[in-house]
Amino acid sequence: MVVDGSAVLECRDLRKSFGGVPVLKGVSLRLELGTVTALAGENGAGKSTMMKIAAGQYRADDGAVFVRGEELAAGSIRDSHRLGVAIVPQELASIAHMTVYENLFVGRELTTKLGTLDRRGMSREASSMLEVFGVAIDPDARMGTLPVGLQQIVEIVKNSSRGAKVVLLDEPSSAISEREVEGLYRVVRQLRDSGVAIMFTTHKMAEIRDLADRVVVLRDGVLVLDEAMTAVSDDDIVTAMIGRELEDLFPALHTVPRESDVVLDVAGLNVAGQGGPDTAETTIDLQVRRGEILGLAGLVGAGRTELLEGIFGVRATTAGRIRVAGREVKRKDPAAAITAGMALVPEDRKHAGAVMGLSVLDNGTLPRVARFSVAGWLKGRARSQAVGEAMASVRLRSRGLGQDVGTLSGGNQQKVVLARWLTDHVEVLLLDEPTRGVDVGARSEIYRIIADLAAAGMAVVMASSDMTEVLGLSHRALVLREGAVVGELTRGDLDAVDVQERIFRLASGLSPRTDEKDF
Amino acid sequence: MSSTATPAPVQRRRLSREWIVAQLIRRAMLIVMLLVIAFFSYRSLRFSSPENLQNILIAAAPFALIALGQTLVILTGGIDLSVGSVIAVAAMTSAAVAKANPGQVWLTVASAMAVGLLAGTVNGILVSRVDVPPFIATLGMLTAGSGIAYVIGGGAPINGLPAEFGTIANTKVLGLQIPVIVMIVGIVVLGVVMRRTSYGMRVYAVGGNRVAAEIAGVNARRTLFSVYAISGLLAGLSGVMLASRVISGPPNLGQGYELDAIAAVVIGGASLMGGRGTVWGTALGLLLIQTLNNGLDLLLVPAYWQDVIKGVLIVAAVAVDVWSTKRRA
Repeated sequence: MVVDGSAVLECRDLRKSFGGVPVLKGVSLRLELGTVTALAGENGAGKSTMMKIAAGQYRADDGAVFVRGEELAAGSIRDSHRLGVAIVPQELASIAHMTVYENLFVGRELTTKLGTLDRRGMSREASSMLEVFGVAIDPDARMGTLPVGLQQIVEIVKNSSRGAKVVLLDEPSSAISEREVEGLYRVVRQLRDSGVAIMFTTHKMAEIRDLADRVVVLRDGVLVLDEAMTAVSDDDIVTAMIGRELEDLFPALHTVPRESDVVLDVAGLNVAGQGGPDTAETTIDLQVRRGEILGLAGLVGAGRTELLEGIFGVRATTAGRIRVAGREVKRKDPAAAITAGMALVPEDRKHAGAVMGLSVLDNGTLPRVARFSVAGWLKGRARSQAVGEAMASVRLRSRGLGQDVGTLSGGNQQKVVLARWLTDHVEVLLLDEPTRGVDVGARSEIYRIIADLAAAGMAVVMASSDMTEVLGLSHRALVLREGAVVGELTRGDLDAVDVQERIFRLASGLSPRTDEKDF
Repeated sequence: MSSTATPAPVQRRRLSREWIVAQLIRRAMLIVMLLVIAFFSYRSLRFSSPENLQNILIAAAPFALIALGQTLVILTGGIDLSVGSVIAVAAMTSAAVAKANPGQVWLTVASAMAVGLLAGTVNGILVSRVDVPPFIATLGMLTAGSGIAYVIGGGAPINGLPAEFGTIANTKVLGLQIPVIVMIVGIVVLGVVMRRTSYGMRVYAVGGNRVAAEIAGVNARRTLFSVYAISGLLAGLSGVMLASRVISGPPNLGQGYELDAIAAVVIGGASLMGGRGTVWGTALGLLLIQTLNNGLDLLLVPAYWQDVIKGVLIVAAVAVDVWSTKRRA
């Protein structure tokens, strides 16, 4: 194949699967020197995987990456270095205990004639490297003491100063504050003007507009848009990002009776560390009635998980009142929350949900160990029976209660994490990303279980970054941004044609469309 | 350091109350050390005599070498449990070599170091290439090594060694025994290497964040390998010096020394998670332990109580460190 000389980096028909699930389904793209390309898409669209393959961190199942016409040896960080491709990962690859200049120079240290480190020289040079980008950072400061935004800039400076011609930034603004974003923009623009090809992943519209010359949109592992920014409107991009059909995945939702009582009543809750600049003032009020499913939408980092954890008491809250079925529940006390009838199904199944090395039976016993024991001794029969019934109620497919949870499929693990609460009465069910890492078939089953539990009288709060999930399974939805509620949508709103775009605009803080009248 | 390069905010903090408190916390080890010395000098006239100072140093020397190696290993986030056993194997090897080749002192030293390096190499390969967790790899070496030490002696100590064998540890140069000189040279050399060379910086980088170091082009595997090899080599050297001091080869020599070495490193302020710690800190931690041992002996404190005090010290040192790190953050 003839390689076009104008592209410094070219990806050809990249395919990649993880555990049999295709993440990239044949993506091709080209980066040119002196341009900034935004790689946009929703969570799980394959952006990060794409980045990591282009940077040589992951090996593609199929397809190839060419840098200046030379094929990148798959899975080789060293080779991508040699060819001038640098990646700044989402989880910062900085060394917190070392100084800024040490971070900048590790791997290519400056030495004196004696062969010892030239610390003063490195410090001085680091100073001038950072100065070029107009950032005032003390090169002798420890990396870990800098705000994340500055660490990020140091990372970018580090990579580009090593002669990188292609700089890949994975979610560069995801962990930094509004004020720090300006510094980041300045550094990226400066790099572009010096002739470097830059690509960054994002799902923030404003960032794409502010920074990119070109936008590439991935959806479900397929490239669905590749245009110059001048040729597309914001709406084109949003449509490309979320344009998937609402699949026939969801059960018919029962209606919540008007006279249904409020089971979960949260008033003035301030979750520690949430709410952007005015942390102390950001409070949340919400009510969920018996039988109602309340969806929580928002981008990554909007504070959905934090809110659920705050309600359940595993995360510190500084003010507010939580009531379950009219009775006040002590804050910051998960045991009190459980006693009051709350149950939390966390986002991270592997680390916070189930104990993978324990059996279904033991996992099913954990949340209510006291109920199944007398004077510390486990009641064998009683717990087998209760856990067995709970697992049967969610139609768990296992070889029996003795099977280790770690050996179940993702969908069945999720059922265990959910059903282990059902050995006793649950008033409020808090779900965080209930179908993450669950395949489509099991997903619709889990949706049905959630709907059934609500219909039987639970109040359900479901946080999800999957917009279709919020649309398909909520009686009502709140949109969060920076730890605060920025919008509420009724079932009627959720059925509207433009609801996805509306949620997206709320979640990303974009002004509503001008032709929109009643917002 | 040029003062003009330092940004203004840093200078303002100097000499303020927080700065003084921060310095006191940072120098806590040194302060404790000085207090301990002052206490013992006050309580015992013999403590501050030159002969006793020599005693402390000669007792510290074999521990110093393995603690230095351990520092490097711990800086990478690993641990080397095998050093005590490697001491035994090296001691037995050197004793056997000395018995077979009386008069060839350098050969005995070289054989001990070679054996130590070999053990370190095996550890290094297991950790860096086979990806066996350091705790397990070196636990295996610890167990196997103590067996090998007995195998070499046929289940018994090697005695009846030529007198030359004793010269290694018992000769004085410039008024100091050779092991003390080796210790001082070792501390200075490794101290400079870790602080002043690319190699040292890469060890810190790999321990601080391996992925980051690799992305920056550091060969993490090679770095990991090297610290275990160095640790083994130093344990070998320590073994021959210990054997030479007693002019015999007891197969249980060095038993449990790995824990004292780890204690010295930890008291010296290193983090078992890697990336943090210094050679100077280890040297200070080691001297503190040895000074305590010696001073408590002079005050006739029973050995059991000495262990209790040492145990408290280890935990206290780390607790203070954790506390002060939290304060700073």
